[in-house]
Amino acid sequence: MLNDVFFNVGYGHFLVLAGMLFVIGVAGVVVRRNALIMMMSIELMLNAANMTLLTFSRMWGNGSGHAFALIVIAVAAAEAAVGLAIVVAVFRGRRHIDVDRLNTLRS
Amino acid sequence: MSTFNVGDLGYMVPYLILAIAGMLVVMAEAFFKGSDRSALSGLTVVGALASTVSSIILVRQLGADERHVLLGGMLVADRMSYVLAAVFAATTAATALISPAHQREHGWQNGEYYGVMLLSASGMVMLAHASDLCTVFLGVETMSIGVYVMTGLRRRSKRGNEAALKYFLMGAFATGFLLYGTSNLLRMQSALASTSNPGLVVAGGFLLVIAFGFKVAAVPFHMWAPDAYEGAPSPVTAFMAAAVKAGAVAAMLRLFGTALGGDVLPFGTLGWASPLVVIAALTITFGNIAAVRQENLKRMLAYSSISHGGVLLVGLAALGLGSATADSAIVFYLIAYCVTTIGAFSVIIYVGSAKRERLLVEDWAGLAGRHPAAALAMTVCLLSLGGMPPTGGFFAKFYLFKAATEVYDGQLLWLVVIGVVNSAVSIYYYLRIVTAMYFREANEPFSPTRSTALVLVMGLCAALVLELGLMPGFWLRLVG
Amino acid sequence: MTQRLLLLLVAFGLIFGAALVAPDLADAQPTAIDLRKGGATGPSPDLHPHSDLVEGSGKGLALLFWAFAAATVGGALFVVTRKNLIAAVMGMVGSFLGISAIYMMLYASFLSVIQMLVYAGAIMVLFVFVIMILNRPEDDPIGRTGRLGKVLAGVAILYLFARLASLLMSVRPLDAASAAAVPPPVDGNAWGSTKAVGIELFTNYVFPFEAISILLLVAVVGAIAIARPLRDDAAQEGA
Repeated sequence: MLNDVFFNVGYGHFLVLAGMLFVIGVAGVVVRRNALIMMMSIELMLNAANMTLLTFSRMWGNGSGHAFALIVIAVAAAEAAVGLAIVVAVFRGRRHIDVDRLNTLRS
Repeated sequence: MSTFNVGDLGYMVPYLILAIAGMLVVMAEAFFKGSDRSALSGLTVVGALASTVSSIILVRQLGADERHVLLGGMLVADRMSYVLAAVFAATTAATALISPAHQREHGWQNGEYYGVMLLSASGMVMLAHASDLCTVFLGVETMSIGVYVMTGLRRRSKRGNEAALKYFLMGAFATGFLLYGTSNLLRMQSALASTSNPGLVVAGGFLLVIAFGFKVAAVPFHMWAPDAYEGAPSPVTAFMAAAVKAGAVAAMLRLFGTALGGDVLPFGTLGWASPLVVIAALTITFGNIAAVRQENLKRMLAYSSISHGGVLLVGLAALGLGSATADSAIVFYLIAYCVTTIGAFSVIIYVGSAKRERLLVEDWAGLAGRHPAAALAMTVCLLSLGGMPPTGGFFAKFYLFKAATEVYDGQLLWLVVIGVVNSAVSIYYYLRIVTAMYFREANEPFSPTRSTALVLVMGLCAALVLELGLMPGFWLRLVG
Repeated sequence: MTQRLLLLLVAFGLIFGAALVAPDLADAQPTAIDLRKGGATGPSPDLHPHSDLVEGSGKGLALLFWAFAAATVGGALFVVTRKNLIAAVMGMVGSFLGISAIYMMLYASFLSVIQMLVYAGAIMVLFVFVIMILNRPEDDPIGRTGRLGKVLAGVAILYLFARLASLLMSVRPLDAASAAAVPPPVDGNAWGSTKAVGIELFTNYVFPFEAISILLLVAVVGAIAIARPLRDDAAQEGA
């Protein structure tokens, strides 16, 4: 049984690995309060999605997942650029990027 | 196996106009230095209106059941997509009209703003046409990234930056869910969908519901919305509340209706309708209860917009459970909601000035005595938001709830009851502003932001709200 | 500290062990599964998901998988637990290296290279730049507010992950009837090559490929507009 799980690596393994990455990413966004770390965790989530795409692409004999994954990478780059610009702008005003301490907006 | 067909471009004219106008405005920005940015606003309005007009022409050209698959199944063109495109483009034009006055008054003249707005609107129109998971994703991202940028462009304002960061982080988080859900559904859109692993379909659908929960600001995922709405510059808040929310709803319509549903999977078999029902009930109720306690007008409208998002989710759930008229009811609701929201925010921009933004309810005391037209426009918009006759908001709610009662076996009746009760509750906080305007004395003179375009939008929106309520026939025929 | 060393040792041990057990990786490329074999009679043994990766490749590739999976997950955990931002970025880079190798195992050679170039090369460098600009590497790792909520959220996430994992492990390729409708994957090395992705990108995905330029334009314009120095505004007003 253990031998099977360990040596008989199949699609399920790739999918679970991706699921693990996704969960770690979600946990990072939920737990951490530093905007940069939150952004990195989001990148982890996107990578998990890409890995799932490629696995299913292989599994279902369908090349479209590869093109989709490439588009995801481009979107991730664009998002990172905008996000980092916003982080820089926030830091310029208050010298920290701790999301818990951003509280000028409260009723 | 080239899937590109030049003829398809003819069906994408509203999208192409917005995208090309956006690029032109980005380039034109280099030639308008100094504080003279109103010309850019003019270009934006022209581009957006051209897109609106072309959408309307295409709506009239297309038959009711006509449907064209474009570019190898990436996009689809039918009447609903053009009606939605017209709504997005017109909302963009209105936002471009109300922006220069606010920028001038509050000193954040910014040329990039207009180009980004048009390009973001092109993402919304892409959503209106989307029939593939990939185009849904790309449209959502184009729309969202543009709006993150617009939120952050008032760069000297700490509140603006903070709103942008919160909006961005939650939006990107939602993107993660959207993408992971999408990746689990890869291939679901093909004819093989029904034979695929059902557990995967449910998991993917659930993740997508979470993702769009964030985008529509539905209740367990709404925490970013009040902060983002309050901190963003008012025109951007208007754009976020009207166009972006409509874009997210259009994305759900397309994703659950066309990309995953359509001919292949009968509507609702994905199991996404049941979590949606719960989320809708929570969203309507919580949004209203929180709005009652707000003193800040923008925050109050943020919570009210959350609650309106809940009503739209009722429509989507009804669609998933097989109501035949739900999609046209949703589109009608979106038209009424966008017009009303833009109108309300244009009055807010008009009343505020650089010295005092006048965002608290008591700041509005006595407005009717000094500026009766503005007070009247605001009253009309607020009544429409509260769903009172004879405004467009009333009919929109009426048709949407009627569509929800048509669901088989009356499964959504309890949701309709919740919606109606909440509608009654919401009248309380909308009327608070109305009574402040009409029945209280002004403690200091108003110094409103003077701008012809602003007054034009205000008047037009108020008139449209009444027109939608008094003569809904034309609009109902338009949406099907 | 010792813990970290131990982790490193285990990772290296796994990689070297894998390298020893798998002397001939070139031969380890299995031919692609032929989904058509099943015919219309029902699922055949050929559709078993485990037939693709490992059969005919011995146990070496499995070991490599575990090594790179460890790098991926370890790096990701590093990202969400480190106090030092630069350390987090390094964990991220390690994670991306692992992911890139995993892509290779999925025969996504083009995406694997892109992953290295764009993510590890460009995006992470961008992060490092910003961290250096901010020059504030220290940070309280875990938010102070709402401990209980976070614990509850953690339990919920773990539960959902367990459900998801059991679901994902059970995913099988399509049954034989529908498999017959799937075009057979192009064989071995051509699958996921630059050519294959390029053809896909310029036929089925030509619209997203073009439309993404608009997204990139928004991002470029927006990033510059938001992040440029504040004094530029004043200069512009005067001009």
